[in-house]
Amino acid sequence: MLLLHSFGRAYSPWSDIAESFHSDLIKNSSEPIDFYEVSLDTENARRPDQDKPFSEYIQALLGGRRLDLVVPVGAPAASFVQRHRVELFPATPMLIVGADQRRIPVSSLTPNDTAVFLAVDLPAYIANIVRLRPDVTEVAVVIGNSAIEKYWAAELSSNYRRISDQVDFIWLNDLSFDEILARAAAMPRNYAILHFLLSEDIKGVPYSQERSLQALHEVSAVPIFGVGDYEMGRGIVGGPLIQSKMLGQLAAGAARRIFAGETPANIKITAVGLGTPVYDWRKLQRWNISEALLPRDSIVEFRETTAWQQYRWPILLAATVLFAQTLLVVYVLTQNRRRRAAEAEAAEQRHEVAHLMRVSVLGELSGAIAHEINQPLTAILSNAQAALHLLAQKSPDLDEVRNAIRDIVDENNRAGDVIERLRSLLRKGERKAEPVEINELAKSTITLLHSELIGRRIAVETDLANGLPPTSGDPVQLQQVLLNLLMNAMDAMVSTPDARRRITVRTRAPEAGAVELQIRDRGPGIRTDDQVNLFKPFYTSKEHGLGLGLTICSTIAQAHGGTLSLLNHGDSGAVALLKLPVQEMMVAAK
Amino acid sequence: MTDATFTIFLVDDDAGVLKALSRLLRTRGYEVRPFASPQAFLDGHDPALPGCAVFDVSMPGLDGLSLQDIFKAGGNERPVIFLTGKGDIPKSVRAIKAGAIDFLTKPVSDKDLLDAIARAEEIDAGARQMSADLTAIQARIATLTPREHEVLTHVIAGRLNKQIAGDLGTVEKTIKVHRGRMMAKLGVRSVADLVRLAEKAGISARAKS
Repeated sequence: MLLLHSFGRAYSPWSDIAESFHSDLIKNSSEPIDFYEVSLDTENARRPDQDKPFSEYIQALLGGRRLDLVVPVGAPAASFVQRHRVELFPATPMLIVGADQRRIPVSSLTPNDTAVFLAVDLPAYIANIVRLRPDVTEVAVVIGNSAIEKYWAAELSSNYRRISDQVDFIWLNDLSFDEILARAAAMPRNYAILHFLLSEDIKGVPYSQERSLQALHEVSAVPIFGVGDYEMGRGIVGGPLIQSKMLGQLAAGAARRIFAGETPANIKITAVGLGTPVYDWRKLQRWNISEALLPRDSIVEFRETTAWQQYRWPILLAATVLFAQTLLVVYVLTQNRRRRAAEAEAAEQRHEVAHLMRVSVLGELSGAIAHEINQPLTAILSNAQAALHLLAQKSPDLDEVRNAIRDIVDENNRAGDVIERLRSLLRKGERKAEPVEINELAKSTITLLHSELIGRRIAVETDLANGLPPTSGDPVQLQQVLLNLLMNAMDAMVSTPDARRRITVRTRAPEAGAVELQIRDRGPGIRTDDQVNLFKPFYTSKEHGLGLGLTICSTIAQAHGGTLSLLNHGDSGAVALLKLPVQEMMVAAK
Repeated sequence: MTDATFTIFLVDDDAGVLKALSRLLRTRGYEVRPFASPQAFLDGHDPALPGCAVFDVSMPGLDGLSLQDIFKAGGNERPVIFLTGKGDIPKSVRAIKAGAIDFLTKPVSDKDLLDAIARAEEIDAGARQMSADLTAIQARIATLTPREHEVLTHVIAGRLNKQIAGDLGTVEKTIKVHRGRMMAKLGVRSVADLVRLAEKAGISARAKS
């Protein structure tokens, strides 16, 4: 079998038709087929007088072998075969493939011929362009300058003259390819390109469809429309197209029937028109053409399913999860911030309440504290008056005067200390964190309560361990805790006989990294009923109690990383245990 | 302060106050014995010395008022002055009723304290005089014979010699002699003086038999 191409093998659409034909034939034939392929020189295709060397070439190629079938692809090849039938293929059946019906009249076919023609509906191309780009007024037709292209150009212009009221046509066949590209790159929005056929430009430079389309596609400022399915995916928008593949397949079917012995005359001559409109989705996107504009039954190819289309549910799910997570994160952050704000506020309020409690405790102690200041004032007055009296004498004992004044200074300092202690307790200063010696704190607090203890006929005994490491905290708040615990111990002993009224203050290191202060009274101990409620706010077992003392003490202890607990002593009374971490431990914990 | 041996027993648990008051009183010429606790005072007190006590009301263990009670219960008549940190009316009333000279509020001015001490000095002197007189009377009473003592009790009951003689189963003349000796021993001339003396000595009249 001889396959006779009109152009070089690489020329669309015929190359595509031939390819389809060839592959289909090979695939579906039971017996092996010998293929001979020749391409008509494009020059020859244009000039019939140059046929002779070519026919000689074919004769030489065949070398006298008998052909079962000659298949011209395209009108030029078909014309060539018709012209040289007698000399080259006198008895060989001919199957014309892909030739335009208009170029090879059916009447010219012999009984030994059949054909799968190409029927091109030229106005359909333009209708497609206008449909997709309603604002297009100019259609630039890319077409070459070869004989076959001139034929087509003529065909087109005669066809399009009828519809030129819709659009104007610009024929680019008188431009070189470079000029075509330059034009395409500068086209305004109301233009569209119809890439028809470009095998050779005005300068005679041959181009394959593939190459020309690709180059054009790269530069074009306007959408490119094509004519055949072989152009699909190479830059054209799409539309009704020549069905080169189907043409090839139909031709292959006809060829098989001829091989099977059927006379070509029995095989119906068919014409394959433009197929169902096919569009390149990417180009629709590129040129912003709505799919709503496409004909109803059209096919959209190369649809790049976006990630959204492809993984809609996973994406939805992921997005939902992500959203939920974001919400959660935002919620957690908000809560966190709110909590921190609330904590800060709570701390501030604790601070306030602690201060109020201190003020209230000191209010209760005001008499006793006044006495604490009164004592040094008494000493000062007496010393001063003694000194004055001494100085009034003829030969004053100056040494004794000096001693008196020295004592005045000491007593003044003592009064100052009391006031300072009082001030720091009354002050609502910043919470401090400094080293605090628990023993010093205990001593200083007992001193502050000196008069109150005497007034209440309560003895205090201390058992302070040596060499305790310092804890860290706010000395004022810690002193407040001690003050409260001592006051509680005193209050607990109102019914205790005078002789037994005793508070024991003990310090020790119960374990490494902690110091503990115990305050034991000789009162009735803690009632079982009260035990659970001890640290609850506003719970009090006292007649005039506010019920905040232990609550405050406990929160202060906790704020210092420590604990406050109360229990009954084995013998009598209650014991308050204040346990605090030592400073190093607190630093290490941080 | 005419008497240089007048001693002030100062009790205050506050060392500073104790020292200052001691200094003040010493510069005024008083002998001062300071005590830092009630117990120290009770242990170290010398009742023989003329003087007064100055107690702080508010002290650990034993407060000033309780100290006064214990002190008095021990038979001491020494005048007591109280010093207190806060004006406490019930306490001051109680102290004065129990015989305190004064109830002074700290800080105390030297004038107030010295005035109180001066009064205490007077009272102490008076008390000491009284106690000295009594001792003398009792000494004289001790010289009486039982019969004379018996006659004494009858005389101060307002009985006539004749009646006494009848009561004692003797003659009026004998009673007259006893009575004369008794009056001479006791150094009284009138019955009125005798009655006053007997009263001082705590001798009661003999009830009518």
